[in-house]
Amino acid sequence: MQRLFVSIFVLALTITPFAEGITLKLPMKEGSLRFAIIGDTGTGDSHQRDVARQLTASRAQFPFQFVLMMGDNMYGADNPSDFVKKFEEPYKPLLDAGVKFYAALGNHDDPSQRFYKPFNMSGEKYYTFKPKAGVRIFALDSNYMDQKQLDWLEKELTASGSDWKICFFHHPLYSSGETHGSNDVLREQLEPRFVKHGVNVVFTGHEHFYERIKPQKGVAYFIAGNSAKLRRGNINESDLKEKGFDQGYTFMLIEIAGDELYFQTISDKATTIDSGIVHRATTPDGKPAVTATPAARK
Amino acid sequence: MPQLNRGMGLVALVIVLSAGAAQSEQSTLKSAKGTTRPTKANPDALVLQDFKHRVEQYVELHKKAAKKSPPLKETTDTAKIKAAQQVLADTIQSARTGARRGDIFTPAVSRKFKQLMYPELKGPDARETKKVIKDDAPSPAVVPLKVNTHYPEAAPLSTVPPNLLERLPQLPPQVDYRIVGKALLLRDVDANLIVDYIPNAIQ
Repeated sequence: MQRLFVSIFVLALTITPFAEGITLKLPMKEGSLRFAIIGDTGTGDSHQRDVARQLTASRAQFPFQFVLMMGDNMYGADNPSDFVKKFEEPYKPLLDAGVKFYAALGNHDDPSQRFYKPFNMSGEKYYTFKPKAGVRIFALDSNYMDQKQLDWLEKELTASGSDWKICFFHHPLYSSGETHGSNDVLREQLEPRFVKHGVNVVFTGHEHFYERIKPQKGVAYFIAGNSAKLRRGNINESDLKEKGFDQGYTFMLIEIAGDELYFQTISDKATTIDSGIVHRATTPDGKPAVTATPAARK
Repeated sequence: MPQLNRGMGLVALVIVLSAGAAQSEQSTLKSAKGTTRPTKANPDALVLQDFKHRVEQYVELHKKAAKKSPPLKETTDTAKIKAAQQVLADTIQSARTGARRGDIFTPAVSRKFKQLMYPELKGPDARETKKVIKDDAPSPAVVPLKVNTHYPEAAPLSTVPPNLLERLPQLPPQVDYRIVGKALLLRDVDANLIVDYIPNAIQ
């Protein structure tokens, strides 16, 4: 039986000073894949800009290659001026530096965003890309999970072999949120496929806070929906929660090196909210994992 | 060969006679020449076939309109995307000036859809399904329900629970289902138009 062991543990890593006073807790291994996560960003307000500034500052120490957007990229109107105010201006330094953004659609997003080239959706509501050998990323449209998309996902996951499998989309399958909470009906459709094909990590938004869920059936789940909007005090006490933050705005930095995915969650006040490692251990034959057993360590 | 033809004729006769005997439970279909003939058909399947046909007709209209509109393709210029959507919407609206509620969701189709969704809205998963709908679906105050008009661009698009989608007929990519209040909408994805809707579909 091929097995994938995912463990998440908080670890004190190499300490590197950050541009705006943040301490970088990521190892910066040679040849690693580096990217960032933002969610529910499209307000165009000062909170979005504050997070964008910290995100930009972090790149001086942690030169990430791309950013994943968890949806709700454009609240309210989405006229050309809105794209400028809610995306192009806040992230201008990153766009100018050649950082690519990959968007998922949220419930506030018109599907025509898939034609907006800087979102790199290739005209599709769901898509996949391989940023580096051994890593496969899937952007899903959780607003409309029809059979066609599920069939596509099944096919693409099957084809992804032993790669790291990272999915991102808007609605969280697990959440301790008071406002929305876990999306059980979506979970019924997706989770069996994630487990069957050994999806390692899932990033979502929708809830306007940060939460790291205890690994579920071998899959690590993160909610990062507070990069511009915040529901203060919205996280309920629950058995799902490993770490939660609903007192400020955050973004995430991710580094993948070998069988480790390192993460650091940083607030707009330059404070580290959470950090740790998702460890993936494949079987000795290195074949793709079909089951996953988490072993949480602190 | 003549024997085979005679055999097939006999089989056909038996079918016709059987069909006649059970006519009360059957629907009738018009043949290509316009004459009616009894045929064994599931009434539910006919309703769904009719829905599919009506959707296909709409999609044909959409495709014709798309040919007259600037292409929707990847660009950094969002004004081009908006302009292409607008021309597409205008062309479709002009072609459907007489469009009314029920053109696609006929009364029979509406009844069938409510039947199809019933297990998810009244069964053991009903609570979770309704929670997802309530979570995202805008109210008719935000999205006025009017056929052949724009879905307001600033209004959120409801998440359609996957268990409902699983029960409803699959749609071509030009249109999707959406929920506003208790209504189920058929929406043109790129033109952002309300094509038709079923009021009180979500109960």
